[in-house]
Amino acid sequence: MADVLTAQDVHVTYRTPAGTVTALSGVSVSVPSSGMTVLAGPSGSGKSTLLRVLSLVEKPTSGEVLLSGSPTVSLSAARRRALRRKDIALVFQNPADNLIGHLTVADNLRAAAQAAGRPVDVEELLESLGLPGTSSWRVPALSGGQQQRLAFGCALARGASVVLADEPTSQLDSASADLVLSTLVSLPVPVVVASHDPRLIALAARTFPMVAA
Amino acid sequence: MQIPWRAAPRAALSSPLTLVVSIATTLLLGFVVAAAVMHSSAAGSAAMTYQEGRLCEQTLHPVLDGERLSLDGARKIATKANGLSAFYTPVIRPDFGGPQTWARFGYRQGATDHLTVLQGGGKDGLWVPQTVAIAAKIKLGDRGFGGTLPPVTAIYADLAQPVDQWWCSEAKTVVPNVLGGDGQSASVIWMPSLDDMNSLPADYLGSLTMTLRFPQNKPPTTIDEAEVLRANGRAALDRINAPMTRGDYLAKPIAVAREAQRNVGSAILPLAAISVLIGLAGVGTVALQWVQRRHSELRMLWCRGAGPLALGGRGVLELGLPLVLGGVLGLLAARVLLPLYAPSSALAPGTVPQAVFAVLGVVLASLIVVVAVTTWKTHRTFQGRPVVLRRRWAALVPWELVTSGLAVLAWLNLSRNGLGTSEKGAALPAVDAAALAFPLLVVLTTALVAARVLRLSLGWSHHANLWRTPAAQLALRRLAAAAGPVTGVLLVGVLAIGTIAVGSSVAGAQRLAFLEKSGAHVGANSTVQVSQDLASGTIELPQSLRGNTTLVGMSASTLVVDPATFTDGAYLGDRAPDEVRSMVGSLTRTGDVAEALRIGRASSVEVNVVGLPRLKPTQYLPSFPKLGTRAGYVVPRSSVTSPEQVGSWHLWSSLPLTQLTDALREAGIHYTNAQDRATVLDGLPFLTVQWTFGFVTAIGAVLAVVAAIALLLAIEVRRRQNAVSGALSTRMGLRPAMLLSSHLMELGSLAAFAVVVGSLASALSTSFAVPRLDPAPWLNPAPVLPNLIPLLGMTVAGSALVVFVAAWTALRTARAARIGELIRG
Repeated sequence: MADVLTAQDVHVTYRTPAGTVTALSGVSVSVPSSGMTVLAGPSGSGKSTLLRVLSLVEKPTSGEVLLSGSPTVSLSAARRRALRRKDIALVFQNPADNLIGHLTVADNLRAAAQAAGRPVDVEELLESLGLPGTSSWRVPALSGGQQQRLAFGCALARGASVVLADEPTSQLDSASADLVLSTLVSLPVPVVVASHDPRLIALAARTFPMVAA
Repeated sequence: MQIPWRAAPRAALSSPLTLVVSIATTLLLGFVVAAAVMHSSAAGSAAMTYQEGRLCEQTLHPVLDGERLSLDGARKIATKANGLSAFYTPVIRPDFGGPQTWARFGYRQGATDHLTVLQGGGKDGLWVPQTVAIAAKIKLGDRGFGGTLPPVTAIYADLAQPVDQWWCSEAKTVVPNVLGGDGQSASVIWMPSLDDMNSLPADYLGSLTMTLRFPQNKPPTTIDEAEVLRANGRAALDRINAPMTRGDYLAKPIAVAREAQRNVGSAILPLAAISVLIGLAGVGTVALQWVQRRHSELRMLWCRGAGPLALGGRGVLELGLPLVLGGVLGLLAARVLLPLYAPSSALAPGTVPQAVFAVLGVVLASLIVVVAVTTWKTHRTFQGRPVVLRRRWAALVPWELVTSGLAVLAWLNLSRNGLGTSEKGAALPAVDAAALAFPLLVVLTTALVAARVLRLSLGWSHHANLWRTPAAQLALRRLAAAAGPVTGVLLVGVLAIGTIAVGSSVAGAQRLAFLEKSGAHVGANSTVQVSQDLASGTIELPQSLRGNTTLVGMSASTLVVDPATFTDGAYLGDRAPDEVRSMVGSLTRTGDVAEALRIGRASSVEVNVVGLPRLKPTQYLPSFPKLGTRAGYVVPRSSVTSPEQVGSWHLWSSLPLTQLTDALREAGIHYTNAQDRATVLDGLPFLTVQWTFGFVTAIGAVLAVVAAIALLLAIEVRRRQNAVSGALSTRMGLRPAMLLSSHLMELGSLAAFAVVVGSLASALSTSFAVPRLDPAPWLNPAPVLPNLIPLLGMTVAGSALVVFVAAWTALRTARAARIGELIRG
């Protein structure tokens, strides 16, 4: 089975007033086309940076990122945007950051689908997310866990080839986190998660441990 | 359009604060540009109206004057013209059977309705002026020229200057010129009808003088209306095609009003442009703040493949409607508040559409700024390489050096050329915008220096230990924590206070200068020349003029005054009457030498003045009514024993001219050379500068509103920090009163700094600039600063009110904070 995402010898450095800071140093990782891959490691180990690089949001200082076997680092900004629009979904740590607060639940799903130019059956998707009957609700009416599940619903609505999530359970209580975990394992697309949540690591098909550079 | 973009306008409602700030920003922008357009148009209208007030109403429409016309010819012209025509015979010596004196016969429709009847009053006969009736011994019922004329049915009071408006265009014909020789001019015997003119001897009917006027019920209020009236009038005169001379008295006022409009427009244009740039910078800040507030949503859209330009479009879709609404409100505010800031409420046709276009322009510019800023910011945030090193290059540029350099250049212009004119007789000062900018550039430089000093002081403030006064320490730390907004509020505050003070000072100085110059030029509110009989005591001053009028003799540059009554009638400006009275009263005469008051640069040695005793200056005043600061002398009347040797005698009165002349006419005292302080000088040059700085004051008021809103918004933006720190402090034992005093110290010190710096900068700059902003430098005295204490008082009161409201808001925030709000992560 071909890898959907591959990072090859990725380096990321930042210039700061205190000097150059290395966030990633020679990282190589492959994401298979099914199951959940967890980037596990303590704070400051570069999990979020690697997730941004894999999601084509940030270019590495050096190295290559392959999406379905095609190199992406040398692509223009417009081409990278086009790939993100079509193939990649990124879910942030804070549930509210993944949704448009002033829209309804249904409109959030439709907006996500529109971004990728796809149709969406809102009610069916909500049913599958365990959020039936919430289509007309405003986002703030949902709990944190519900919002995070809706965020994964948006990723599905977009028909992304791969879903990347940054600490998706860190801001949730344990019951809500459980619901999100069950959503995560049921997603029909490969998932890359940056987390140090042991329950999430336990569910992973593959774990990529990271340490501070 | 995708949902996030389609729903963007509605999203604006999710942040009332951004909504209010967006609306307020373009409201002020729209107000400034619309007000600039309307203000210059209103200046043109005001200049037009002012000049019309100085013109004879009946000559606003082009007029015709003809001479040597036959009665039949004149009658045909009158019939064709359908205006108000008047017919006069040459000056003759009519025969009423008694002594003959000079007079002329005339007819003007409605003339008898505008004369004061002394005897009789029947409208079917001749109306004879009193002087002619007395000289020729004419009585009611007499018939002239052997009985061929209609009988005399009324004796009326002679017309004299100043005449009623109805007679203003005929004054040179109906009021005899006493300086003219015999037979040159005479009062008019009015015929009952034009047909009755036929009863005059035929010799007089072939050489008539005719005037043709077209009185207007509603004088034009704008330049365009005046131009229409003039063009229509000229076309009407073309149709009449009479062999008469045209008078076009509106041509020059129209040209001058256009010049005034141009001058005011060009003078306020740079200020309006700077204000627009500041406003657009404000719009940019709103856009930046919007990017920060919508960061999560923009990042999500970015991750879903939206580009920077699309995100810029998202910004303009959300902020666009409030910005447009603000612009519309600004336009409406400029129109509604026009009477408050502009010299006239009459706008030329097309002004409002021009203002609409100007507002559309700035609103469009605002939208472009929003797109550009949001596109640039999102590109930099999401697409560019993250650069942690922030270069604060804008803070490093010494902007105050740039503005102070410009101020020096403006000063050189101002000190070299004054206002831009030194030509006596020029219709209007050619206002030099660079020279006008001097006081404002000084205020701007001072504001920038103050902002830099504050910023540096706040940076250093962590060394300060004021814990003995906890409220002061808390206030200082809050100021330091919000150094950026605090500096911004100070900058705008100093600019607002300085601009208002500069505008009010210069406008007030011009108003005072006009009063002082016209007062000094005339010497009193009104003056007339009288015969020496009043000085010699042959005739007494009418009772109604006692206590308000004084007799003054003039020989060359020497005034002969009555110390007891001089201050009753003379215009003394701000000089104390008692001082003048005691100085003049103390002057005595010893033998052939009379003590005199020396004025201006007059010689201090004894001098001979024709008709007066030898003058020995013993006291000095730098200026005096009528003499101004020119060299001259003043002697008391008691020192002059031969009033007939004094050059001329005048009555100086504090009454309006009409009251003075009415009283003299009633008393039968003949007078000439009437002068009225209100009309003796053309005030338009002063008004032009006054109107220009009136707009400066309006801009200052706008900036003051911006400063007040910025202060209140800064408090609202820091609502949560205030709530957390306030709640914590009060739970640690700080009393609410102490917290309030801490906020009052914080905001009060900021406001006090702004008031002190703004007031000092404006006072300093205007004290240098005002004497040089003199539209009539050949007339003394030069403009001086008005009393600024009332303005300062209002500024302090206004600032105190804003500070109190802001402090109270901060305290209320701390006391009303909910627990959930305080523990939120």
